Amino acid sequence: MSNHSELTIEEKLLGKIAGEDTGIEIKKTICSICSHNCGIDAYVKDGIVIKVEGSAENAASHGTLCSKGAAMRQYLYHKDRIRTPLLKKGGRDSTEFEAISWENAMEIAASHLQKIKDESGPESVAFYVGFPKWLRSFVKRLCLSFGSPNFCTESSTCYHATALASELTYGYQSSPDMKGTDCLLLWSANPLHSDTSSAKGLLKAVDHGMKLIEVGPFVTPVTKHAEMHLRIRPGTSGALALAMANVIIEEGLYDVEFVNQFTKGFEEYRSYVREFTPKAAESITTVPADLIIRAARLFAKSERAAIKSGASPTVHHTNGLQNHRAIISLVGLTGNFDREGGHYVVPWSYYHAPNGLDTRDGEFEQARSAEGMPARVGSDINPIWDKLKKEGQSVYLPFQIKSGKPYPIRSVVGFGMNYRMWPGSDFMKEALNKLDFLMTADLFMTDTTRLSDLVLPVCSTFERQQIKMYPGRFGLWTEPVIDPIGESRSDIDLITDLSAALKLNDPLFSQGYKACVDWILEPSGMKVADLEQHPGGCVLEKGSMPPYQKYRQNGFPTPSGKMEFSSSILGEAGLEPLPKYEEPLHSPISTPDIAEKFPLVLTTGSRLPMFFHSRTFRLPWTRRLSPDPMVEINPVDAEKRGIREGDRVKLSTPKSHLIVKAHLTGKVAPGVAAMYHDYPGADVNELIYPDYRDPISGYPGFKSLLCEVESVT
Amino acid sequence: MKQMSFSFDVSRCSACFACVVACQDQNDGGDEPAYRQVTSYEGGETGSVTISSLSIACAHCGDSPCLMVCPTGAIFKRNESGIIDINRDLCVGCHSCQLACPFGAPKFGKDGKMSKCDLCHARVVSGLQPACVRVCPTGALIADTLDNLSRQKAEEASLVILKSTTGKQTPL
Repeated sequence: MSNHSELTIEEKLLGKIAGEDTGIEIKKTICSICSHNCGIDAYVKDGIVIKVEGSAENAASHGTLCSKGAAMRQYLYHKDRIRTPLLKKGGRDSTEFEAISWENAMEIAASHLQKIKDESGPESVAFYVGFPKWLRSFVKRLCLSFGSPNFCTESSTCYHATALASELTYGYQSSPDMKGTDCLLLWSANPLHSDTSSAKGLLKAVDHGMKLIEVGPFVTPVTKHAEMHLRIRPGTSGALALAMANVIIEEGLYDVEFVNQFTKGFEEYRSYVREFTPKAAESITTVPADLIIRAARLFAKSERAAIKSGASPTVHHTNGLQNHRAIISLVGLTGNFDREGGHYVVPWSYYHAPNGLDTRDGEFEQARSAEGMPARVGSDINPIWDKLKKEGQSVYLPFQIKSGKPYPIRSVVGFGMNYRMWPGSDFMKEALNKLDFLMTADLFMTDTTRLSDLVLPVCSTFERQQIKMYPGRFGLWTEPVIDPIGESRSDIDLITDLSAALKLNDPLFSQGYKACVDWILEPSGMKVADLEQHPGGCVLEKGSMPPYQKYRQNGFPTPSGKMEFSSSILGEAGLEPLPKYEEPLHSPISTPDIAEKFPLVLTTGSRLPMFFHSRTFRLPWTRRLSPDPMVEINPVDAEKRGIREGDRVKLSTPKSHLIVKAHLTGKVAPGVAAMYHDYPGADVNELIYPDYRDPISGYPGFKSLLCEVESVT
Repeated sequence: MKQMSFSFDVSRCSACFACVVACQDQNDGGDEPAYRQVTSYEGGETGSVTISSLSIACAHCGDSPCLMVCPTGAIFKRNESGIIDINRDLCVGCHSCQLACPFGAPKFGKDGKMSKCDLCHARVVSGLQPACVRVCPTGALIADTLDNLSRQKAEEASLVILKSTTGKQTPL
């Protein structure tokens, strides 16, 4: 092969080869699209990013990117990027905005918020953070300093309920400790599409003998690597988990020592799961009884076993919280909690990173205590959520905005907010239109920013600083690799400026982002300056990972000090303490009358590899991979309805309908229809009732309701 | 002469499309079709469907039909690497290569001239991997000389055989 020097300078420029001769420089940053924040090498020439590549030295992302991250350039330089602060001209229905200065924007924001605070109290302003999440602590601090208890996030429909289920059962969260795990139960998770940086590690573990059991309604790219696939009817996870427990207990495969010494409510649980024989569970879940038995035996007989579930598919059901409790109870039942190769408990450090660093983000957020402030949004309906998550349940925002009860919400300050993520998104849109003042911060002009009175342009990771710490002991600090697009700014600068404009006299905010992060990191002994020396990231030497089996010394942080099959907190609140299985509110079994007209189970929002919520629809490189909104149905169901591939069909629920294309695929089982959420022009969340929800977490039943698909051609 | 080639492991591909987008990022893909394409196929009966996916671009054939049919000599083989490349100045846009290629590799953009995967020639010569290989999250796609690919496959096959005689038993 010829050597480097044989390339002409034109060939090198065309091939984007970095070097002094080409003037192409590699600068270190992170991806903006999802929370994994994979490390990125940005190839920069003359101040413009000309190519991206995964940073090989990033210990969390291992040099790979997904299709979304690889499309980063189209995200950065998209024509829809908002370039200046924008003020709406005319009323809420107007679509005209005028460009204004940042100074002017801050004055307008502060005067509106102050006026509403003076008239109706600070609680009538809600602060909301959608995506991304990294700015949450700063917005929460601003919200509480302002005097409002109503800090809300997109976690009202993502992950928090999964964590809540774990906290009610074990007192804290845990995650699979992939060190010599012999059996991994992948429960409604497809990391090959949603966590691509973990793909190589997962497949390597399978190559080295780890057995995969896949549970979930879809055939996925994981399926061919799995020992077995338990293809449940959406919304029936709980019944399957209880049946697995039935087999494990009946066959004496559970960890007797752990159960006897460290758990509460085992006898009631054992007695309850007797109902869930594999045969009984087969009739609920559609998973063959013998497969349930084989899965239960493989999981329980494996020396080290763990369960990896998606962030929220198990809890996006009206019975989701208890379903998830039933799932994670299997970990304790088999003695796999807080042990090597099983589940590992590592407390979260800043921000949401289990890395063993002692950080004070909680203290930072609570610049002022919420004590004495009026009750948070949704706390009257979901007191358990309120007590454990200590933030508003934003699913109830539209209800409170519309009713004014128990007190009015007149303004929302939204960062990365997308009303189409709400169940019954049309209902949320009506609510936002009722507000006296809606201000949003975003990178792009979106359906939500268009409703706003004031829109503020923020920038991507490539244009600002950010601390990023990954699970494990790896982290980094980014500096901008290009100038911000237009007059866009870091969210943090906008938050601290708004705090100043509101005269909140925040001594930390006034010192800027880096000083705030140093304050948060202070107990860990690490400083931002330590990270700055390693632009691509480094091992966090100050992090010390905790030992396993902490419960042996300290017990569990639950009211009983034990793992609770029967939850004290749920029991005291008058709720069902055992992880009992209830049918989804709408299902062929619970509502046969509705199912007569709407016989298919609709499950929405499962990831497609090229999209992350609404973030990459506008990028031609990703959109072209799946251009049209489609409902996926099994060829068997399509044939019954005379539907062919690509036909225009009507997807309807008792609430509403959409016209979309049909995609016939064996990925979904007969009797199931699936659709990705938030497609431009075909928002499937409009088909879901805004109060179709889990009674404990408030989570919407996005992933199990009833529908029908009919040909309209 | 060395012959560079792609190697693709169908059992590893998850149809994540990262290779397609990384290719477009590397080659400033606009509205034209991408040089790389991923196609999935479903097989099996209802209830036991398997989905297989294939990522394909120019195969840089040893005996290239596109090169043979090109009337102007625009398509050529690089001596040092065996990469099939094109001198676009000579292309007259006759589409003969498109008809001859069994993999659908030649693409035609707005200027009417052919363009296609050059196996990231400049990157490979600089000791880097092609963009699609570099991004692949599962390791399904690799690129190397045929000699190296062949040696690697022999090693992998040997390990599978060895493991099958000494591997762990499943506790069923």
